[in-house]
Amino acid sequence: MKILIIGNGPAAISAAETLRAQDKGCEIVLLSKECVPFYSPCPLAEYVEGTVSRERLFLRAPDFYDQLGLQIHYGQAVTRIDSAARQVWAGDQAFSYDRLLLAHGSKAFVPPIPGLAGTQGVFELKTLADAEGVLARIPQAKRAVVIGSGFIGLEAVQALVHHGLQVTLLEAQNHVLPSMLDREMADIVEQQLIQHGVIVKTNHLAERVLSNAQGVCGVVAGGEEIPCELLICAAGVRADLSLLEGSGIASNRGILVDERMQTNVEGIYAAGDVIERPDAPDKHQVLPNWPNAVTTGRVAALNMLGIPRRHPGLEAVNVVRVFGLPIASFGVQQSEQVLRWHNGQGAVRKVLVSQERIVGGMLVGEVNGTGVLHELMKKGVNVAKFGERLTHPGFGYIHSMEPLRAIRWA
Amino acid sequence: MSKTIFTIPERCVACKSCELACAVEHSCSKTLVGAMMENPPPQRRINIESVGAFTYPSRCQHCSEASCVSACPTGAMQRDAHDAVFSDSDKCIGCWMCVIVCPFGGVTADQSSKKALKCDRCPDRVAKGEAPACVSACPTQTLLYVTPEEFATERRKATAKAAFANSEPTAQPNGMDILRSLKRAN
Repeated sequence: MKILIIGNGPAAISAAETLRAQDKGCEIVLLSKECVPFYSPCPLAEYVEGTVSRERLFLRAPDFYDQLGLQIHYGQAVTRIDSAARQVWAGDQAFSYDRLLLAHGSKAFVPPIPGLAGTQGVFELKTLADAEGVLARIPQAKRAVVIGSGFIGLEAVQALVHHGLQVTLLEAQNHVLPSMLDREMADIVEQQLIQHGVIVKTNHLAERVLSNAQGVCGVVAGGEEIPCELLICAAGVRADLSLLEGSGIASNRGILVDERMQTNVEGIYAAGDVIERPDAPDKHQVLPNWPNAVTTGRVAALNMLGIPRRHPGLEAVNVVRVFGLPIASFGVQQSEQVLRWHNGQGAVRKVLVSQERIVGGMLVGEVNGTGVLHELMKKGVNVAKFGERLTHPGFGYIHSMEPLRAIRWA
Repeated sequence: MSKTIFTIPERCVACKSCELACAVEHSCSKTLVGAMMENPPPQRRINIESVGAFTYPSRCQHCSEASCVSACPTGAMQRDAHDAVFSDSDKCIGCWMCVIVCPFGGVTADQSSKKALKCDRCPDRVAKGEAPACVSACPTQTLLYVTPEEFATERRKATAKAAFANSEPTAQPNGMDILRSLKRAN
């Protein structure tokens, strides 16, 4: 059997490893758009900052592909999928397959700001090439602007501050981390940023990017001109759906898959940042994060080999650190009942409850035990009896245990 | 099957011997006095949680499909030769992804070292043929280091005994028994 995987990220690699562990004989071909072996994109900001070395980004040994008998083709940007002929086209080269896995991930969203695209000194922080571009630009930059205060944006801010740049953060909405936090929690984060010398401008929509012979030289936002020599655009990521045209694969915001990671076209599966789960509890969400990429890649691989396995549901949880302050968030940010805990030293934990079930949580400063709360939400456990204790950092797994009193061990 | 740590929550009296032994084992000196003098102080990876009088030593369960291993974007969280999940602190960047996906609260975010802390099932002790520190230190046999088969046998015996005897143990009640009866009453 010939299995073709589009992508070379965590979903693709976890799928390839699972396939090889299950089936020693099948032919596995990976098509990578980039020209470097598998690396982790999550510590890219730390790489720019200088706290993580380049070698550390590569999570597998140099001979990994040979060891597992994986054929990897670098620099192959897939342009078309011909599902009728079971072929994938990258430029004028065709690759045939018996089973196809789409694990090519997401791409940075570039807002339609005049002068943004293609200007020298403007970067996203999505790939290793982006990070290296930023590192090369830093020596000739004194001031930087980061557009977007999602977690990539905040990580980029920290990396640039670490290099001694004057950083301005632009956020179009009225507070930072709009998809993770509510106003009160975001204010704590904003204070943390300001304390570390970041100029935070919320309600500032970037209108125009200015450039001269040396590349970018400023941004116009909210009517004022902010000079800068380096610009990072971190306005979010979108599932990359560009290669689906004419393939007949159904998509909405991401490629629609069932709990076995199968698309509507027989023999074609999808995993990672690119998928959307219409059946999941968090309906129609695209959740681009590392745990989802790894677990969906694994489930897709097993099902491709005919081993039925269902995915329990995506992890709708994320965490970011802002100058040492940990921030975790899951589920929704608004609800009728909000339980709150704080320790008076900057740590605030909020658990959002609706109809006696947890529907979300936001934790700043103290994130221990977030997993326990998230699990209660995923299982739909009635939390009425726990009350305020839910928000306390000591709220642990013991609360979800029913003591076994039937057996006398003692 | 190889040995692993089992917990019988009904036996726990929250003496916290496991917490202390764990911190000592994960200190530089590996002695109690030495551990007390260390700066930063060594951290435990087992945590006594309580609800009323019911207590339970919470720690990593070394899941077979561990969410923390799947979630780790730097390859720090991994499995050793004895199937124990451990975190390589050199590779850990303190992103806390493992902390927020663990349904057991088995991984702790250590704010001072910026590293994820979790039970590693004491590889040094296990290599010497000893039980992990928390198990050795537990005076009530709440924590057991046995194979799943041995644990199942123990459990069957206890169930059979309870079914036949259907009574309290006859020995004089001591402090432990009083604590246990309190737990049952709760």
